[in-house]
Order: sequence, then structure tokens, then C-alpha cells
Amino acid sequence: MQNFGSNNDLDEKGHVMTDQPKIKVKFEPKPKPSTCPICTVEYYQQFFDIEQRDVYMRIRCSLLSWKPEFYQCVGKNPDLWGPLWISTTIIFILFAGGNLSRFLLEEDKRHFKYEYNYMYVAVLVVYAMAFIIPIILGVIMKYILKSELGVFEIVCMYGYSLSVYMFVLILCIIPYNEAQWFFLMCGLANSTIFLLVNLWDFMKKNKQTTLIAVPIISFNVALILCFKFYFFRLIYAVDD
Amino acid sequence: MEFEVQENQGNNSIQGIINLQPQVNQVNQVQSQQQEIQIKQTDIQVSSTLEESVAVTLLRDLRQIGVKLRCVLVPTMSTDNARELRNWDLWGPLVFCLMLALTLSLSGNNDDGPGIFATIFVLIWVGSFVVTLNAQLLGGKVSFFQSVCVLGYCVFPINLGALFTLFFQFFYLKMFLVIGCFLWSTYSAVGFMKLLIPEQKRILALYPVILFYLFLSWFALIV
Repeated sequence: MQNFGSNNDLDEKGHVMTDQPKIKVKFEPKPKPSTCPICTVEYYQQFFDIEQRDVYMRIRCSLLSWKPEFYQCVGKNPDLWGPLWISTTIIFILFAGGNLSRFLLEEDKRHFKYEYNYMYVAVLVVYAMAFIIPIILGVIMKYILKSELGVFEIVCMYGYSLSVYMFVLILCIIPYNEAQWFFLMCGLANSTIFLLVNLWDFMKKNKQTTLIAVPIISFNVALILCFKFYFFRLIYAVDD
Repeated sequence: MEFEVQENQGNNSIQGIINLQPQVNQVNQVQSQQQEIQIKQTDIQVSSTLEESVAVTLLRDLRQIGVKLRCVLVPTMSTDNARELRNWDLWGPLVFCLMLALTLSLSGNNDDGPGIFATIFVLIWVGSFVVTLNAQLLGGKVSFFQSVCVLGYCVFPINLGALFTLFFQFFYLKMFLVIGCFLWSTYSAVGFMKLLIPEQKRILALYPVILFYLFLSWFALIV
């Protein structure tokens, strides 16, 4: 072994270098205090442990909603990437498409007034539907109705159930009343069937658990009514 | 691992010893290796930055912003670029964010100037934060502020697009300009971010970047 310096070297000022270090820099990982595990980034990394192939399969499961295959797709690995970015895409489509739909119908295109409130309302409505409502339902199901599904699995399911609206809302830009209702009804049917089919095992247990279908259906209906009457409302010019 | 260094003010150098962890070799003898290193620092800045004039300070910061802007926007993927971007700063993103928010809120087509300013400002910072957090959660080896810095610098083409749309009112020209600026921003940001994410998760990390610049470009187009 080649010695690059012996242990008792003196430097130019006469100090022994190894025994009296002046500046010491140590690389040691500090142990992290775990006061709030749900607040750390590492806790949420387990929900982003998916690949693009998995996301594609899950969205496909949700679009083919009559097949109860979602749990086989998800396995033990519910993710939060899908719910987050599907709902953000829907917010963008509502903001851009809602105004575009009104613009196409407007006769006086020069004085078209763009409604920026669409963004704030869209953020409220879509994030409530994608996160707040499934968290409440999941907590009720897990702790009161004793289901074996966790809260994050319900959030994941709700998030992917909204994926059909990404396509439906783009089609709703067409400014015809009947067309918009048709597309929204298709979206409602697909989304609700997806949720009910995948929760069927839980719902058929007893009468109480079957009642969970009521809030699911009513929130979905409320969502499309909000889409139709706020974002894609068609105000025709009044003939004098 | 530890290293101990001492300043040697006589010849402006620092000398030190790196203590690697003791290694046990095959005959069970513990050997610890020490290496003496000599680092000469030839360009030590003797005067502090408090003593220089304001103009010199501002020009230096502006020059650094300009250098980083060129690295980010002429995406050549060289190692110099990568090294330059590691010295992140948030002045550049702040300047471009303010410029974009001001330009869009002052444009004549809308009557909600302060609202637009606030929306764009919040959108840029919260958007960069969320996109970076998303990349980190997907397991990317991305330093938080470095990524926010690059996303902020890549807003510059959309800034240019917004400035042009102030002057040209012809809609199809505006549309082409904004689409061009959106593609330029996205290409730069994607070029930086895709190096840091594993292959199977790349689209999952890049889609939010595309959505972020799409939001901003849409604002530049409609306002």
C-alpha cells in the first residue's frame, strides 16, 4: 500500500495535521424525526409507484366500465397520480372549452367577454368531486360500514371514474343543446356504472351497504348538472 | 467519510486529509487510508460584494440570468449546460413571471387586470411547485429548486408570445405565434426533465409540464 502521508506530518506552521483538524466536514445522514409521517414526501411516494403502462391500463378499465376489473388492474397499489392529473386536465378543458363553446355561439365575436370565473368554479367542483367526496365516502365505508377497502383505494377509483369526462367534455364544445346532453348522459352512465360495478361486492352485503349507491349516484348527477348549467350553458340570442 | 482541511494563507491554498472508512482487507488487517490533498485557490475574491456599486451588482445578476436563459432556451444538452443549470436561482423565474403577469393584465381585451395578474402569478409558482413535486414523487432525482428554476426560465418564450400578441390583433397570427412559443417552452423544459426520470415513468412526469405550459399559452392567446 502506498502511503501518501504518514500520521504525524507537520504542516508549515508546525501544527500536527491529523491530531488537530481545523475544519471538519462530516457526511452523515441525519435521522429524520417522524413527528408527522403523513406530512413527508416519502409517505406519498408509495402512491406514485406506477408506470405509464399501468396508468394506461387503469384508464382503459375505467372506460370499459361494465367489466369489474378495476381491482385486478390496481392490485395492492392504488395511485394518486391518476386522480390528480385527470382532474387537473378536466379543469383545463372546462375553462378553455366552456368559454370556447360560448364563443362559437356568440354572434358578436369582437365583443366576446371571457369568463375567468370558470377556472375558480372548475377547481372547486372538480377537486371536491375527485378528492373530498371520495375521502368522506371512504371514511364512512371503512369505519362505519366496515369495508375492507381503504380510503386511498376509493380516492383512486373516483379519480379514474372521472377519466371518461376528459373525452366527453371535449365533445361538449359542440354548441348544440341535444348533442351536449347526449354526451353528458353517456359520461354519467359510464362513470356511475364504473363505480357501482366495482363496489358491488361491498354493496351486496346488507341493506345498509346498498344505500351507499344513493350518494354515489346523486353526486354524479349533480356533477353533470353543474357541467351543463354552468360551464356549457347555451344562451341563445333573444329574438325581438 | 470525513475530511479535515486547513487554510494556508501563505500561498492561498487549503490543505487537507480525506479519511476514508477503514477497510478490512483479506488478511483481516484494518488499514485506513489517508490522502493528503492540496487545493490551490487562485481566484479568491478578496473584496466583499458590499463594496461594489449597485450597477455592478445588478449587471452581474443580469448577466447570470442571461447566461442561464441561453442554456435553457437553446437546448443543446451539453455538459456545460447541465453544470450551469445546477447553480439555480429564482431571480430569473420571478422576473419572467412578473413580466408575463403584467403583460397579460395590461392588455386591452379584458377588464379584470388585477384578477389576471394574481391568477398568472399564482398559477406559475403553484404550477412549478406541483410539477416538481410530481417529478420527485415519481422517484426522479431532481433537486427541488433547480427544477422550479428551469420551469421558470422556460416561461420566457410564452413571455415573448404575450408581448407580440399585445401588438398584433390578427387572430390567426396570434394563434401561430402562441403555438410556436408553447412548443419552444415545452421542448426546452421536457429536454431538461426527461434526463432525470426513469424510462417507464417518463410520460407521467412530462405530461404535467405540457399541461402547465398549455395553461399559460392559453392565457396568452385569449387575453
